[in-house]
Amino acid sequence: MKNLHFRENFKNFLFDLEDFITIYENHLHVFNYKKLNKLSESEIVLSFNKMLVTINGVNLKIKQMTKQELLINGSILKVEFSYE
Amino acid sequence: MNREKILWIKIDTENYYRLLVKLNDIGINMYDNKKLKDSILIKTTMSDYKKIKKYLISYKVSINSNSGISKIKEIVNKYIVFSCSVILGIILLFIVNNLILKVDVKSPNKNIQNLLITELDKYGLGTLKFKKSHKQVEVIVNNILDNNKETLEWLEVKYDGLIMIVNVTEKTKTESSETYNNCNIIASSDAKISSLNIYRGVPLKEINDYVLKGDVILSGSIVHNEEVKNTVCAAGEIYGEVWYKVKVEIPFKETYINYTGKNRYNLSIKVNDNKYQILKSRIKNKKEDEINLYKLNDFEINLVKEKEYTTKVKKLSEEEAYNKGINTALEKVKLKLLDNEEILLKKVLKKEVNDSTIYLEIFIVTKENIGELQVVSEEINYGVESNT
Repeated sequence: MKNLHFRENFKNFLFDLEDFITIYENHLHVFNYKKLNKLSESEIVLSFNKMLVTINGVNLKIKQMTKQELLINGSILKVEFSYE
Repeated sequence: MNREKILWIKIDTENYYRLLVKLNDIGINMYDNKKLKDSILIKTTMSDYKKIKKYLISYKVSINSNSGISKIKEIVNKYIVFSCSVILGIILLFIVNNLILKVDVKSPNKNIQNLLITELDKYGLGTLKFKKSHKQVEVIVNNILDNNKETLEWLEVKYDGLIMIVNVTEKTKTESSETYNNCNIIASSDAKISSLNIYRGVPLKEINDYVLKGDVILSGSIVHNEEVKNTVCAAGEIYGEVWYKVKVEIPFKETYINYTGKNRYNLSIKVNDNKYQILKSRIKNKKEDEINLYKLNDFEINLVKEKEYTTKVKKLSEEEAYNKGINTALEKVKLKLLDNEEILLKKVLKKEVNDSTIYLEIFIVTKENIGELQVVSEEINYGVESNT
């Protein structure tokens, strides 16, 4: 059974955010990621402190990139979270 | 706040995604990027650029574009020798273009030459000095003319390459008749005297008398009993009727030039009187006006304005050609006339018409001032004196 980590997510929401992902039209903003694991035209895999985020889409590109933040551009089809 | 310089760098790669992962691994901040065919442009900081150069040694990394002054600085640094040569060349060209190597005063009078060289030097115009603008030169010329009213009549300063040419007209001391003790008024041309206003002197001719060129009309010698008692400088205003016979030939066909309004600009280079046009001219019938852009000794660069024209032939009737001939003759004579002088009569003496031209011989009578001052030196003796 998949653990939904309600407690951690709720804590993140109520208190100062440790990390977050904001989705806009054709853009996705990632804050406080740890590592860019995989990058391709259709899939981007990012690791955070306690989870892995897989972004699926078409023609994905990184528009801006710093040590903490990423701005991804492209047609985003799916964002998947998997907790370790 | 320490704002780091942002620049665009170019990294040659065929795999955009792999490169970005690598950039992420080494912690590069990327503020924008553009994917090109075989490379990627990344907007990043100078320190990150150095980091990329250090860690991604297998990639070809170069600064693509800075902005503003830093871009110029970068280009200058890259082409330092060329840049220095260009800058030195520009400075040299500026100096050569603006320096006066020689001052050429167009006057045979040494005193005037020295005076002008000193005066111009006072205002900063001289050998091995920089040229001044047209307006400044105008002010200087006016000042010099004001300061030397008694010696200088007209002054012009112009540049011909490295030479400053000073054209000058000295003030001629008008030799008024009062400065001479003995002078006559003689006829300047063959004429019939029409008016005689005598201020000084003895009249030897009367109104309606015919005189030949050089005949004495007013004598400065006062003679009594065939002996010269006194001499004066004769003065007077003598008008006479002067005759002209003018020959003109007017063709029946006249060619007029009409400008179409189509202009074309070209550049020409002139080296030692050999002229080369840079662009091929496509205008067949054209008049060229040249504006000098640069001149150094025998080398000139000119902007040429080519104005296209068409020619139109107009056929004159015999009457039109006849009138034109008379007007041309009158204009010719009018050119010689001064104020208070006029044309009194015109008469066509001869008219010959052939297929293409009309030939006219016109007799014109004018009223002119025929008095001319003749200074009598002691050696010159006149009529009565020679008998004594």
